Amino acid sequence: MNWISTLVPWQWGVLGLVPIGIVLLYFLKLRREPVEVPSTYLWSRTIEDLHVNSLLQRLRRSLLLFLQLLAVAIAAIALLRPGVRGETSGQDRTVFLLDSSASMRATDVDGGDDGGKDAGQSRFDVAKKLIAQEIDQMSDNQSAMLITFSDRPNTVQSFTSDRRRLRDALDRTEVTNFPTDILGALKAADGLANPRRTSEVGNMNDVQVAGAMPADLKIYSDGGFQPVTEFNLGNLIPTYVSIGSKDAKNLAITAFSAERNLENPGEVQAFATVANLGSQPVEATATLMMDGQFMDASSVSLDPSDQTGLSFAIESDEAVQLSLRLDVEDDLQTDNVAFAGLTPLRNVNVLVVTPGNTPLELGLQTSKSSKICKSEFVSPDYLQTDRYTLRAESGTDDLIIYDRCSPKQMPATNTFFIGSLPTAKQDAAADEKWSWASENSGVVLIDIDRTHPMMRYLELFSLLIFQGRAINGPVGSTELIGADVGPMLVLAPRDGFQDMVLGFPIITTDDDGTSGTNTNWYAERSWPVFMLNVLRYLAGAAEASGAPSYQPGQTVRVRLENAISDAVMVRNTGSDNAASEKLTPGPTGIVDIVGADSPGNYQIKTGDRLADLFAVNLFDPTESTLAVAPDIELGYEAVTATAGSVESRNEYWRILLVAMLGVLATEWWVYSRRVG
Amino acid sequence: MPKTEKQTLLSPELLARLERLELVSRKIFRGRMKGERRSKRKGQSVEFADFRNYVAGDDLRLIDWNLYARLDQLFLKLFLEEEDLHFFALIDASESMNFGDPTKLLVAKQLAAALGYIGMCRADRVSVTALGPHGRRAPVLRGRSSLWKMLDYLDSVTPGDDSNNVSLHDGVKDFSLRTAGTGVAVLISDLMDKSGYESALRMLIGRRMDVFVMHVLSPEEIDPPLRGDRKLIDIEDGDEAEITINAFVLEKYRDTVRQFIGTAKQFCSRRSIVYIPVRTDTPVETIVTKYLRERGVVR
Repeated sequence: MNWISTLVPWQWGVLGLVPIGIVLLYFLKLRREPVEVPSTYLWSRTIEDLHVNSLLQRLRRSLLLFLQLLAVAIAAIALLRPGVRGETSGQDRTVFLLDSSASMRATDVDGGDDGGKDAGQSRFDVAKKLIAQEIDQMSDNQSAMLITFSDRPNTVQSFTSDRRRLRDALDRTEVTNFPTDILGALKAADGLANPRRTSEVGNMNDVQVAGAMPADLKIYSDGGFQPVTEFNLGNLIPTYVSIGSKDAKNLAITAFSAERNLENPGEVQAFATVANLGSQPVEATATLMMDGQFMDASSVSLDPSDQTGLSFAIESDEAVQLSLRLDVEDDLQTDNVAFAGLTPLRNVNVLVVTPGNTPLELGLQTSKSSKICKSEFVSPDYLQTDRYTLRAESGTDDLIIYDRCSPKQMPATNTFFIGSLPTAKQDAAADEKWSWASENSGVVLIDIDRTHPMMRYLELFSLLIFQGRAINGPVGSTELIGADVGPMLVLAPRDGFQDMVLGFPIITTDDDGTSGTNTNWYAERSWPVFMLNVLRYLAGAAEASGAPSYQPGQTVRVRLENAISDAVMVRNTGSDNAASEKLTPGPTGIVDIVGADSPGNYQIKTGDRLADLFAVNLFDPTESTLAVAPDIELGYEAVTATAGSVESRNEYWRILLVAMLGVLATEWWVYSRRVG
Repeated sequence: MPKTEKQTLLSPELLARLERLELVSRKIFRGRMKGERRSKRKGQSVEFADFRNYVAGDDLRLIDWNLYARLDQLFLKLFLEEEDLHFFALIDASESMNFGDPTKLLVAKQLAAALGYIGMCRADRVSVTALGPHGRRAPVLRGRSSLWKMLDYLDSVTPGDDSNNVSLHDGVKDFSLRTAGTGVAVLISDLMDKSGYESALRMLIGRRMDVFVMHVLSPEEIDPPLRGDRKLIDIEDGDEAEITINAFVLEKYRDTVRQFIGTAKQFCSRRSIVYIPVRTDTPVETIVTKYLRERGVVR
């Protein structure tokens, strides 16, 4: 129990002068009624007796004055908004960690003092209110720091004892649509409480330059994040204030995508997964909208922790923006809507540099491949021409296949090398270069990364390969096919492009010019499928059909054609107004978009032409699962939730005001009784 | 002055009762004229006092011849002389007496008139006089027929006259200088004199008077009905006193009044002065026929 002092001592002093002023005014203003008496002789003697302490006697016996002073005093105290601190903080320093992730938008909270469920209040609002109360209760010698965290920490206000700055910082905080990662925020708080040594451990001469500052760590969250294990709390004393209820109602779309049917490019198929992540059975209608027009609907009825898949088929040749909306009033609205985009089906350009490769030609000319691919075959001599140089630098082609040859300089596009290695840059480090890991020898394939889209639907263990060499890829490369001698198919990134290298040629040419096959792959059914996968994923035909989906807050890297100098990003978040934002692509046509914060369809347009398309969706079951965690795990330490409403300011000003009115009424009664 | 107001001073019934009363003096004074009272002086009354030897020149009519016949010596037979009593009623007519309902002055006048009438009925020498300049006009009265003269005088005594606002001391001094001889003096006053009443009473005692003090106080003075913030104005000298009257102050005032009365009583009893407190709300008849009899002023 601790009174909250709203005034500093000198202000109390000024307040103390008020009653004295009233007493002075009381005597100055006093209107005495003249009365004739036979003699003031006896009165004078009476007053003489009182003279020594007459002022005090007057005050002591003047009930009206006393009541007036009392009323003023009570009013003054009531105006000062006195309160009793519910609980005092153990430390002088407090770190407020405020969860601003998407799940904090949930409205399953009590309205605080207002009582009952308040529809307008989210978990985040309640958490802010609780922190505001904490800030109000801080004394002058306490300081605090405010960090919000979603998928990234944000130190909104560093340590200060200025309560107004803290309040302003708190007002600035906003809830996001991002997933949750508390580790960064913990590290930010940790930096203060647990100073690190200046040099290595064990050095006896080393002293810690900064003293440890123990701090209260108050986490205002719903606990919707993974346990943090790789963290040592040290001097931080954690308190977990759980916000929200354990009994929430939430239906969420956890996946939504749309693809064109390659057989029939005009047909669009949309797939969605809807899960009930609350604790109550929910029935709802899922409505599919295309460019704001109603397309289809489906009803969903799910018991708690059930999920179901929905599929829709619609006809459209154009680029479309789809949105799926669950028409249900649950506690979290953000995950009730999902977006997906589709580019118009387009062909990819493939340049094949080969001395002659019939299986490759066949693979690129299957009925499926020819639908999405326009291929051009040139001989290796073409690499010497200026036309090629221009073509390679401008990135006109979506993919260049180098069959048993290498360019002098890597082109600004994705590449596929067959039986040869990409050229390294002049100043490249050793681990950034491609190299052969073995000599030519017979190859037996032993491992395939089936999870990679490039290897989808492939069965390769029946292949016969006569001559092949293992490959050492640069840093960041992915082994797609492993053989007994080493990696045989390797995919590696290069400045936003991708290079894929196959360790063995399909066709070999003898010294006398006769061609022969090096493998029986071309005769396998997996060959055209592999080539189709190359076209879809390496040449980008698949990307061209279905727009990728990112989580809110992620940095989206978009590659535009070099010729485009300016572009506009149109943000369509489902509301009526579509916001647009100007983009400036770099020299390579790559744009990093950081403002994709809210779920929606994002289109990048150059003029009227659609250059690229992506969607932003929450799609995070952790965020959508609203039940509040009873405890959270921080560095192997379980922190049990405390009720958020324990530490509230007990207000007394209303009682005081009523008391003041009572005193005023009594004063009036006494006055009127005396006068009348 | 209308006759009715004169009559209010003394009602016929009261006059009838007063006729049966007699003023009492605890001392025996020498009167000026032959009266109805025993005197120290030997004289010609029927009451025997003493014998003494005859000396040449004595009135032969006073010789007791029977004694001469028996003892063959000349003795004079002495009788007590009967003389009149000098009665002075001193009325304090200052402005402070003009207070209350009825005013203290009216009550004082009634008391003075009543006592004066008693005296007049007994052939005493009565002087009812207001202190101050008024007193100089006061007639000396004797005999029942002088009643109207006394009432006329009393009527002429009015408060509010600046000349009447003399202090008790000055008034009594003036009276003492004017009056020779001794007698019974009744001072009717509220004793509220800022310079004190003690010197006035001492002066009367110094004149060998048999002094009575009738202390007239109105109920409003004893228990004032005042509350709140007041400016008290002294009707006598215009003195102002600002005071906040509350229960505490009031209680203090009552204490002061009690103390004032007590002091006066003590002062009087130490000097053989009969002190008689008079409340103006008590009828004059009751005062005269009851209180004054109880205290031996009349019988």
